[in-house]
Amino acid sequence: MVLVGKKFWRSHEGLLVLPALVFYALVYVAPLARIGRWSFFDPGFTLKFWREVLGEPTYYRALRNTLEISVLVTAIALLLGYPLAYLMATTVPRARRVLTVLLLVPFWTSILVRTFAWLVILGSNGLVNRTLLALGLADQPQKLLFNMVGVQVGMVHVLLPFMVFPLYGVMSRIDPNVVRVARSLGAPPRRAFLHVFLPLSFPGLGAGCVLVFLLAIGFYVTPALLGGPGQITLATMIDMQVSTFLDFGAAATLGILLLIVVGGIFAVFGGLLGLNRLAGASA
Amino acid sequence: MHSGGRIGAGRAALWSLCVLLLIFLIAPIAVILVTSFNGTPYMDFPPKTLSLRWYANFFASAQWYQPALLSLRVGLVAAAGATLLGTTAAIGVVRGGMPGRRALEAFLISPMVVPVIVVALGFYFLFSDYHLLGTPAALYLGHTVIATPVVIVMVRAALRTTDPSMDLAARSLGANFWRALWHVTLPSIRASVFAAAAFAFLISFDEVVIAIFVGGPDATTLPKRMWETIRFEIDPTLTAISSLLTMVAVVVLVGAELARRPPRREET
Repeated sequence: MVLVGKKFWRSHEGLLVLPALVFYALVYVAPLARIGRWSFFDPGFTLKFWREVLGEPTYYRALRNTLEISVLVTAIALLLGYPLAYLMATTVPRARRVLTVLLLVPFWTSILVRTFAWLVILGSNGLVNRTLLALGLADQPQKLLFNMVGVQVGMVHVLLPFMVFPLYGVMSRIDPNVVRVARSLGAPPRRAFLHVFLPLSFPGLGAGCVLVFLLAIGFYVTPALLGGPGQITLATMIDMQVSTFLDFGAAATLGILLLIVVGGIFAVFGGLLGLNRLAGASA
Repeated sequence: MHSGGRIGAGRAALWSLCVLLLIFLIAPIAVILVTSFNGTPYMDFPPKTLSLRWYANFFASAQWYQPALLSLRVGLVAAAGATLLGTTAAIGVVRGGMPGRRALEAFLISPMVVPVIVVALGFYFLFSDYHLLGTPAALYLGHTVIATPVVIVMVRAALRTTDPSMDLAARSLGANFWRALWHVTLPSIRASVFAAAAFAFLISFDEVVIAIFVGGPDATTLPKRMWETIRFEIDPTLTAISSLLTMVAVVVLVGAELARRPPRREET
């Protein structure tokens, strides 16, 4: 094994990977290491930032908000994304292409642009509120921004494709004959779906949920612009520590905490993710 | 294919749900696009009078077009860097059979899943140590890191569909490794490399979190300027800029798709 390894690094292929590795070491690993240093040293080794972060209820609330938002986003994205992926997987190729394009355009549109759009649409004088008033569904403008509603609308909009693509990737490889056989053996459509199609789609379901949850945990732009005081997350907290309180030690510690949460999810559920599959779907 | 009222009804319900979802997905983009042609400063939807004044405003004021030019420059540099690093790394990883390959790949792609706020914080610390905060260099470096994984993923996918024996044939005919790479491997994945470069550009061009953390007053990208404006007031010029950014994304998407799709052959 060791010999093979040495051979690789002396080979042409090894040489090809080297520039990226060196670049990553200098501009990716080094910054992450800097965060570790800020979190554990001042200037000697200290745990005071960790005591601060783990001891204060403000930070605990931010962690709880982060998890709450992420779980809800994942659930909503699954509920909405599953039918959409199912339709894509079972419809005619032409309709599938149209659906894919309609998913890809928002997918590749700037998150900032989309978040700004929701600020305009969900505002008290925005399209949604004016429609509600005009239809008599509300007698005064509803508060749709700077609260959980705004954050969920904005985040589901951004993360829905990340649920749909892995789901579709798995569903499109389910042999339709398997479902047909179940039907021909007398299973009603619902039973054929629940006992045959649904279990076969579990890998995509797992991958989609893990991916959406992972991305939601670290989300910054949308909670910062569409959320209120009740939606302060670890990510928005990091920014506050840096730009408002200039507490770099606390910011770094929150950063590590975020990395631990993300890394932990990745370590436990990473196998479900199948980054290869994902890449093929989104690119 | 299906018969029977129940299935038909179920199918119709599925389609209606999905149409609503697609409206939800497209609505923000459509609303902003239409609103950007407003003649009044009130962001009416639908607009009562039409004009191009917000577009004119964007192209006329230095506080908007200068950040746009910087974004363009950063995007091009980051795309070049990411394409170079990502393509070479992808070829090395796919063609070289090494132990721990999966771990290496996971590491190379990991900037995709590490929260960008954490990476941005790290850049903030690193670049302040090297007095690069607030310089375009900080943006070049930072954006190259986050754009590289997409290139690796796309080039890797392309390489897996090519036949490595072509490469071996060239080698056996006397071409050395680098010649075979340049004349056989690279041409066979050229379209995907261009597509990957386009997406790398887009990732940098739209990136806002790193831009906020490491770009100072002298290195303000378009998304950073938008961010500052949004937090302060809702300026209708933002609708015009948002529409322009969306058009850039669509152009990149269509261009990449056309580049990757072989002519006169339907995708399967």
